[in-house]
Amino acid sequence: MDNIKLEKEQQLADILSSDFTRLDAKVIRERRVEAVLSSNDIIPSVLLFAKDKMGYVHFSHMSCVDWLEEGEFEVVYILWNPEEKINLLIKVRTERENATLPNIDYIWRQANTYEREIREMFGIEFPGLVAAKEFILEDWQDMPPMRRDFKTKEYVDDHFFHRPGREDAKDVREEIANRSGEEIPEFAKKFSRK
Amino acid sequence: MREETTTIYLGPQHPGITGNMMIKLQVKGDTVVKAETHIGYLHRGFEKLMERRNWLQSFTIVCRICVPEPDPNEENYSRAVEEIEGREVPERAKYIRVMVLELARIASYLLWYGGQNGSAGLYTMGQWSVGDRNYILDLFEELTGGRVYHMYIWPGGVRRDLPEGFADKVLRTMDYLEKRLDEYDKLMFENSIFQQRGQGVGIIDPSKAIEWGVVGPPLRGCGIQSDVRKDDPYEVYDKLDFEVPKIEGKSDVWARALVRRFEIRESIKIIRQVIEKMPAGEVYNKVPNPMKWIVPKGDAYVKTESARGEFAYYMVSDGSDKPRRVHVKGPAYVHGISLLENLLVGENIADVSFIMNSLGTCPPEMER
Repeated sequence: MDNIKLEKEQQLADILSSDFTRLDAKVIRERRVEAVLSSNDIIPSVLLFAKDKMGYVHFSHMSCVDWLEEGEFEVVYILWNPEEKINLLIKVRTERENATLPNIDYIWRQANTYEREIREMFGIEFPGLVAAKEFILEDWQDMPPMRRDFKTKEYVDDHFFHRPGREDAKDVREEIANRSGEEIPEFAKKFSRK
Repeated sequence: MREETTTIYLGPQHPGITGNMMIKLQVKGDTVVKAETHIGYLHRGFEKLMERRNWLQSFTIVCRICVPEPDPNEENYSRAVEEIEGREVPERAKYIRVMVLELARIASYLLWYGGQNGSAGLYTMGQWSVGDRNYILDLFEELTGGRVYHMYIWPGGVRRDLPEGFADKVLRTMDYLEKRLDEYDKLMFENSIFQQRGQGVGIIDPSKAIEWGVVGPPLRGCGIQSDVRKDDPYEVYDKLDFEVPKIEGKSDVWARALVRRFEIRESIKIIRQVIEKMPAGEVYNKVPNPMKWIVPKGDAYVKTESARGEFAYYMVSDGSDKPRRVHVKGPAYVHGISLLENLLVGENIADVSFIMNSLGTCPPEMER
């Protein structure tokens, strides 16, 4: 990495790391800085500090990743500084069971939309979030569908029926194998219907 | 005396709505007092589908997220994968990508001309511009095989090199379009109906625009020169000469129309430069066998300036043959929900779809 070019980014990472003890910041590349928080309580104070003191006034993105194997959700807040032209990615982790994160829609009003979607799709609660419960899904009773343990195929089989007239639809790979007499290659077997 | 309001459901099937979504309006007389965006009529679960498909299979569905301009999705997806993998893209492919993106931008703006004028009752303009858009779709058809969805910009470069004589065809189309833009000015920007409808309607407070998450033409309509192509350059935009408009005015529908009027000419300028500067060479850095293609663990946040504004992808790989998470954020996610709901309050009901079109609201990117 070119150290001279990344001066601004390094400066930001240093300020964040020194001001917050439970925060670990590093430069990813030009215009991208990452800050990993080890505590959920400091999310609003880090975001307010970034917005009011560091010029990260534009809330670009908020995303959630389900790390099922580790039993955690990772939530990423992405901010943009229009003066310095840097994206700051703030990452936090929370337990999957009864996941709760602080509501931040009083800092940026559009965060309300992101939180609504994450609440509906992953089941993370944001205490104090005022918005209609339903966002994209309607009358949804099942597990939040973007969780990785949501069984898509079972859900489809339980709730929908296959279009009639396709009962004799053949598995293409098996059909080719039968006709040619060749075996289905190992890597393709997992895509087979059987 | 208690003042009564009436509830009006605009959509999900309505000529004034840009796609399948619904706005629940509370109106008092002709004036909107409350607006609520309701989505969910177009949810196709792209992000969930991508969890169960390998890296190349996922690529084939991202373009379906946006009909008028699918290429920023392809480009974002490809660039995110390349960034996680550290894959180099040949220089010529980068130039071709920029050409495709700018052609898509022009095509998208031409479609917008139709929508914006249609919602003001000026239908001739739409007939003309959508007709001219077909010439760009013809180019796409020759280049990629598809008129609407291209699947052309893929991880590692582009799918194939330009056909013989293609560059000349592009230049001829650009010459034609440039002449047509003067005609558009007469029909639209010199038209007193459009001027009166557009001026002073749907005003965004410029001091709050950045904080509210406004991007793209609506933000530039506030007089703020913000463009991902300049602020966070990708592909070869830093090697090209183009300008970001500085609009002075009231940050209304008219200002946003002026932004697009300016940018369509800039896009033509960019395409001419790209064709002139395009180096020879390879266009594709081959990825491994798609069935065995493993992308290392990591994450990437990439963004593109689409015709409606900043289009971003947050992609996470867990080191397997499938993406862990691909989060698509289109500009309409903010423009169509929190911004639109606040912007419509106090406006006349006849201006609702007019304002909506000026923001470029597009439901597929709100519910991926």
